[in-house]
Amino acid sequence: MKFRLNPMETAGALMVLSLVLVAILAPWLAPYDPTHAVADTFGDPGSPSHLFPLGTDQLGRDVLSRIIFGARISLIVGVAAMAVTMIIGVTIGLASGFFGGAIDFTLMRFTDVMLTLPALLLAMAFVAVLRPSIWSILLVIGLVSWTQIARVVRAEALTMTQRDFVMAARALGAPSSRLIARHVMPNVMPIIVVMAVLGISGTLLLDAGLSFLTLGVPPPTPSWGRMIEEATTYFSTAPWLAIFPGLAIFYAVLGFNLLGYGFLRRRRSSGSASQ
Amino acid sequence: MMRAHRRTRIVNGRAANANRAARLRRLISIAFAMAALVALPGCRAGAPPLHFPPGAMVLNLASISDVPTLDPAAGYDVESWMFEQMIFDTLVRYSNAGVDLVPDLATSWQSSPDATTFTFHLRRDAHFTNGRSVTSADFKYAIERVLDPATRSKGIEYYRAIAGAADFIAHRTTAVAGIETLDPWTIVFHLAAPDPIFLHKLAMPFASAVPRESVEKWGEDFSRHVVGSGPFILKEWVGGQRIVLAKNPNYFVKGVPHLDAVVESIGVSEDLQWFKFEGGEIDVSNIPPAVFPYVMKTPRLRNLTLRIVTVTTRYLGMNCQMPPFNDERVRRAFNYAVNKPKLIAVLNGRGIVANGVMPPGLPGFDPHLSGYPYDPARARQLLEQAGLAHGFETTLWMPADQTMMILGQSVQQDLDLVGVHLMLKAIAFPPFLEAIRQPKTVPLFFSGWEADFPDPANFLDVLLSRKQWGANNDAFFSDPRVDVLLAEAAPLSDLARRYALYDAAERIIVDDAPWVFLYYPITYEIQQPWVHGYVLNPMRPARLDHVWLSPQAARY
Repeated sequence: MKFRLNPMETAGALMVLSLVLVAILAPWLAPYDPTHAVADTFGDPGSPSHLFPLGTDQLGRDVLSRIIFGARISLIVGVAAMAVTMIIGVTIGLASGFFGGAIDFTLMRFTDVMLTLPALLLAMAFVAVLRPSIWSILLVIGLVSWTQIARVVRAEALTMTQRDFVMAARALGAPSSRLIARHVMPNVMPIIVVMAVLGISGTLLLDAGLSFLTLGVPPPTPSWGRMIEEATTYFSTAPWLAIFPGLAIFYAVLGFNLLGYGFLRRRRSSGSASQ
Repeated sequence: MMRAHRRTRIVNGRAANANRAARLRRLISIAFAMAALVALPGCRAGAPPLHFPPGAMVLNLASISDVPTLDPAAGYDVESWMFEQMIFDTLVRYSNAGVDLVPDLATSWQSSPDATTFTFHLRRDAHFTNGRSVTSADFKYAIERVLDPATRSKGIEYYRAIAGAADFIAHRTTAVAGIETLDPWTIVFHLAAPDPIFLHKLAMPFASAVPRESVEKWGEDFSRHVVGSGPFILKEWVGGQRIVLAKNPNYFVKGVPHLDAVVESIGVSEDLQWFKFEGGEIDVSNIPPAVFPYVMKTPRLRNLTLRIVTVTTRYLGMNCQMPPFNDERVRRAFNYAVNKPKLIAVLNGRGIVANGVMPPGLPGFDPHLSGYPYDPARARQLLEQAGLAHGFETTLWMPADQTMMILGQSVQQDLDLVGVHLMLKAIAFPPFLEAIRQPKTVPLFFSGWEADFPDPANFLDVLLSRKQWGANNDAFFSDPRVDVLLAEAAPLSDLARRYALYDAAERIIVDDAPWVFLYYPITYEIQQPWVHGYVLNPMRPARLDHVWLSPQAARY
């Protein structure tokens, strides 16, 4: 089968790729050290100039360099938190959909309860208890965002379990582990990939939100959300401090969303999966 | 005093402390207000608009945080004191712009040469707003009320030295033997030990005259139904929304106050205050950090600013009982490593580099202390001598506040240059206070102290003596030489000798370096061109009794 990207996927893939490249090449791309003062603009942020294209902040740090390094933390947190989310969500979804019955009922009611709790508030509560570090942020975001994944995976697994090829395998005496690993899982995989890519934009935003509430990755590590938080009082006098990190978040979220919706459209147009 | 409730009118560092909590609270209250609007159509959220007769002179103010209390026995924060000192009277008070004592309800006073007996003669024309004369018995009652453990007053410490206070606190007597009311207009205080600064303790709002009948009638609710003898009367207090004071027409100083009313809107952030100020809605405002440079560059606005160096020192406390800060070389290294002029630049110049414990404006301040200049090379050398050539990791605790976080990051950068990896831990103010008072818990913390009264004892004794471990000596600093000097200085009335001993103690402390001495903050406020007679005090909230406004018609 010839694999061709649709325009949405192309745009999304290019944006995500550029982001990944910026994150990897940050030390070479960033013109200055992002964590130390490089301009004498203490207390009075410097406006964009040819030396500092995106201006400097109230501690004399270069905004461009901070945004470039901020891509690292955003991507790492976004992707790794999604991995945590996936591990939890897929496990619960598969177990629920495949085994059904009391297991399904218990797991799904638990999921319903979790769904009623607002993710950001729950995340704030978790972070308040844990020591703020990159690891706790990953864990917290994973702990609050797995519910949607679990429900979708459960629905897929449930229909798969009823399919003839699964029935046939079961009739041949295949154990549950083999059924899940060889028959259900591969067919649920496409929707998992789509959900994961779409979900990254959500975890990215949640991370930025936590950082904005000063509950994210602690300084000196540059993070986009905290940059905006530190800029709040400067909205009217130094808007570049908030606008550029805001655009960075916008770009990253848009990239992952385009890619995700591109995948989703491909899945819809090619019909549901078949063996 | 170390303040939980910080007045946002005082700028920077002290300002936004409560902001985050307040912001959250506001969000929640907005959510509730919206729910209420949906549930009760036609029902308005918010207090009804105020109406004043035409031509009334009304001073409009705004603040982020509500007034915690108006009960003088309870209040120990700037917001409370600002209103308490306008509603109540003490025997003596500070002048409008200075830290010198002037008569309030006492017309004259004498102290014995050994500073153990203080006699006050009261004015006879002062009345509570319920019509009754203010007498010596009201002051006796007020101080006994503060001393009564059931009142749970934070002012209890200041009056323990009165003879018989210990027996009264232990409920062995029903009155404090050392407070004598010779007649309705004469009150005498006998102290168990000499205390040359006792007058200053009587100038604290804790010692305001309160009418027993009103306090007993309202009990816990007295704070909401205060009756005093001061220039203003509490007219309305809508929690979380506004507080309104009205002129006391029977105030004993004729022709004062000039204002008919004072209205403070509550829940107004610093940024919003600025917009309201620009729109002419409020008469005196804080200047948010972000607009401060603009204000200073604009002559029209700069001319409207008021500036004062407060009697305050900001510092990083190092826990002298916790390694590696139990090594004075490390503590000195930190003093050399932190770039204080940079911190002041980050504050837009709103501070003076601190060279010691005592701020300028405090009697006994030593202008010749040299302190620790910024010298990272010297810092690295000292760390090497202490066996920490490869650096170490430590945590700086601070109250959650945007300005503090910025200052903390500046310190983080400075220490990074000498190999110290600093983590920042920002938490709410009450748990912060709780934590720094625990032994061997907090290695490094961001703190500050504002004078309660103008005497070196209020800094050196309170913050750095051994007996204040677990209370206010949060650096857990102890030097026997210092404790001896402090004990020797405390009872001295001879100011030259007194200040010389405190100076000697301060020099030892600076050398021992239990703190990184950071800066003495400068407060800026801005007033409308039609405001007159508004004066900042270096140690107390501004008094409003001499403030007046140009008539509305003459304003533009």
